[in-house]
Amino acid sequence: MIRFQRLLQIPLFALFVFLLWSAAHPLPAWPEVDLFLRFDPLISLGSMAAARAFIPRVAWALIIVGLALFLGRVFCGYICPLGATIDFADWVRAKKKPGENGFEDGRRYRSFKYFFLLGLAGSALAGISWVFLFSPLSLATRFYSFVVHPLVLLGCNVFLDTLRPVFPHLGLDRLALIRLDVPQYNTNLFVALLFFAVLALGMIRPRFWCRNLCPAGAVVALFSLRPLFRRVVSESCTQCGTCVRACPMGAISRDMKTTAHSECITCLKCKEVCPEKAVFFKVTRQVPAMAKEVDLGRRKLLSAGAAGMAAAAVTMTNLHHLHGKESPRALRSARLIRPPGSLPEPGFQDRCVRCGECVKACLTNTLQPVWFEAGLAGLWTPKVTARSAGCEQGCATCGQVCPTGAIRPLSLEEKLFAKIGTARIDKSRCIAWEQNKKCLICDEICPYNAISSQFVPDHPVTVPVIDENKCNGCGYCENKCPVVGESAILVEPLGELRLATGSYREKAKELGLVFHAKTEVRDDFILESVKDKEGQVKTEEKPLPPGFVVDQ
Amino acid sequence: MKRTGMNRRDFLKKSVEWAACTAAVVALPGRSTGAETEEKAPDLVVADGKPGPATRAAVEAMGGIARYVRPKDKVVIKPNMSFPNPPEWGTTTHPDVVRELTSLCLKAGASSVLVLDNPLRNSEMCLERSGLRRACGDLPETQVQGLTDRSFFEAVKIPEGKALTSTMVMKKALEADVLIAVPVAKSHSATGVSLSIKGMMGLVYDRRTFHMDLDLDVAVVDLCTVLKPTLTIIDASRILSEGGPGGPGKVIPMNKIIASTDFVAADAAAVELGTWYGRKFKGRQVKHIQMAHARGLGRIDVSSLSVKEVHA
Repeated sequence: MIRFQRLLQIPLFALFVFLLWSAAHPLPAWPEVDLFLRFDPLISLGSMAAARAFIPRVAWALIIVGLALFLGRVFCGYICPLGATIDFADWVRAKKKPGENGFEDGRRYRSFKYFFLLGLAGSALAGISWVFLFSPLSLATRFYSFVVHPLVLLGCNVFLDTLRPVFPHLGLDRLALIRLDVPQYNTNLFVALLFFAVLALGMIRPRFWCRNLCPAGAVVALFSLRPLFRRVVSESCTQCGTCVRACPMGAISRDMKTTAHSECITCLKCKEVCPEKAVFFKVTRQVPAMAKEVDLGRRKLLSAGAAGMAAAAVTMTNLHHLHGKESPRALRSARLIRPPGSLPEPGFQDRCVRCGECVKACLTNTLQPVWFEAGLAGLWTPKVTARSAGCEQGCATCGQVCPTGAIRPLSLEEKLFAKIGTARIDKSRCIAWEQNKKCLICDEICPYNAISSQFVPDHPVTVPVIDENKCNGCGYCENKCPVVGESAILVEPLGELRLATGSYREKAKELGLVFHAKTEVRDDFILESVKDKEGQVKTEEKPLPPGFVVDQ
Repeated sequence: MKRTGMNRRDFLKKSVEWAACTAAVVALPGRSTGAETEEKAPDLVVADGKPGPATRAAVEAMGGIARYVRPKDKVVIKPNMSFPNPPEWGTTTHPDVVRELTSLCLKAGASSVLVLDNPLRNSEMCLERSGLRRACGDLPETQVQGLTDRSFFEAVKIPEGKALTSTMVMKKALEADVLIAVPVAKSHSATGVSLSIKGMMGLVYDRRTFHMDLDLDVAVVDLCTVLKPTLTIIDASRILSEGGPGGPGKVIPMNKIIASTDFVAADAAAVELGTWYGRKFKGRQVKHIQMAHARGLGRIDVSSLSVKEVHA
């Protein structure tokens, strides 16, 4: 008989996976693929605090907090996909229960989660958001996006490749030409190791992370000290201790009767295992008191807050710290291209919870989580890696799936004007400029017609020339450049538009940028020297366009 | 090229031989084979009208699809669907042309029709935005695919190659009984125009070497020594006069469909039909088409060909 908790937890986990799977182009109109992220109280409070703004999209987490007042930590027991994964890992690993599992036994670790919470609060007050390191939804989304998702696709391809020879005989011609694009992700091994470390903590105690470390759990715990629906033990209890040993949270006191409600995830396991049927969950105001359920101490709390602030201060004084500076800094990497619609860097880093949803949803796999390219506090923030793929014109999915608005949700029309950088030709590496090769791939691929092939003096073949005002920074040129290794044409952040509010379209117009132009754009093959004084060019004096020869 | 039976080139040669014999027999005075003989198809057809109907008319004027597609044939149609742009941009083949052609092949009894390309931009987007998947997706035995994975290609030697001596080519195109090129007529920043000859590059896995190491014009023609379409239909319903191959650029409506079994002739005709970069050009003025002609892949001099003009 499947337990009641699993009846909800497993379908909800499946929903989480389904939504994450659906976070792709084209995005379904319904449901909201970032739903679970919006429910994470730490993402919600943390990013609002760091951004000093109310973010409606993640305010949904307030429902979770409110729910805790009535039902306790059901978020942890039923909704949280990290909790579900930890439950699964604990189940796989060992059937043996730890000998001492009373609330009092592992008590000294319990307060860690509150200290982390206070530390994060201190850091957020100082203006740096570290929630991405601890938020369960950031951890889970990142892991399933960067690690599990490509592995599943890889597995599918192995399956398809193995059976490909027999598909035609089975009448499955349609499958014969299917091969899935397997995305590749930066930092994926580290993400996996960190995640497995969290799971491995379960070797010490089941749900070790949830009991002791999870600051999101701490937020919920603070609201579930005296929930309306709670555990009650009747007189028929024989104090056999079965429930104490079975409790995945170690929320039951050694006295077998009292419950630490702030630790209880309402999974109902104790009720199910009780041989005497002495355990109930019901709506009651009768409070079996537990002394010092949350045992923190003012000094420790203040220290935790101060430590968080100190961590923020140290981060800010790091040489590579980008956050807090609107203007480009000398040490900003010229390779750090943010997704279209990204807020100005400070607001961007405040809000970005490094969940990886945008990276997962990216149509071309150009979005990648960075290491420390954006400073210490910029770990796992997304960047466009144009060398591996361009940013597709017809896709604005990254902003649509961002739960905190670090990337603004732009319409395709607006996104067209959200310039993310400008291409620059490294002439010494370009085979047209340097080696007189007839290479015009960047011109050929440029979706904005910002690159034209022109005859210039002293060059026998046409060479690519960039019109900065037409370049949107999409990076297709950098992606397709045939030069081995680093591209000879590079997109750099120069000229990027990062607007916290207002229309990109208007701003682009104001700046004289032309991203649309279906008919007025022209590839001109005009030598400057051929122009007469009025700038008029006589057709017969124009050099022939590339690929043509004079008719003999 | 094909593992079993007759390959396309042999088929073409055989067809020509048989046609010659038949013609000879028919030409003998006072003799008749008794069987209904096929009228000789024109070298080139230019059909005027909307993309779909003009395509049908052009194929009809070429002697009907049954002349090229036999029952049970595996057909590969090679349109240009390299860019995620709508048909109005003139960067991809008009969906109506491809749909019409696919339907005709199916009607002729083709066992399968694969509409294939190796798109430059993201495959999914190209199939979606060009409208080609929508246009042909519901037809039976038909698949529209952008194949980009290496496993769908195989190495091919190019014995007559001057610059390109081997490359990876789409397997399905090599295995096909009939290959139909359906390019859109557009300008190209490196090769002047991109028509059926240049379009064959869309069946190649890694095209970087064409630009990097080789003379692009020569390499394209080299490739065509091993990849010759049975039939070429050029979509000149509108041409991308400049700003090609990716657009956006100047699009000129033409309402024409060109058909020929000779892809050099078809390309030359398309060049002369359109205006490119604000000028008129002869077919022989396009380097790669001229080279294809010089190497005996087809005839570039449109004025010496039998051309049939039809209206749809």
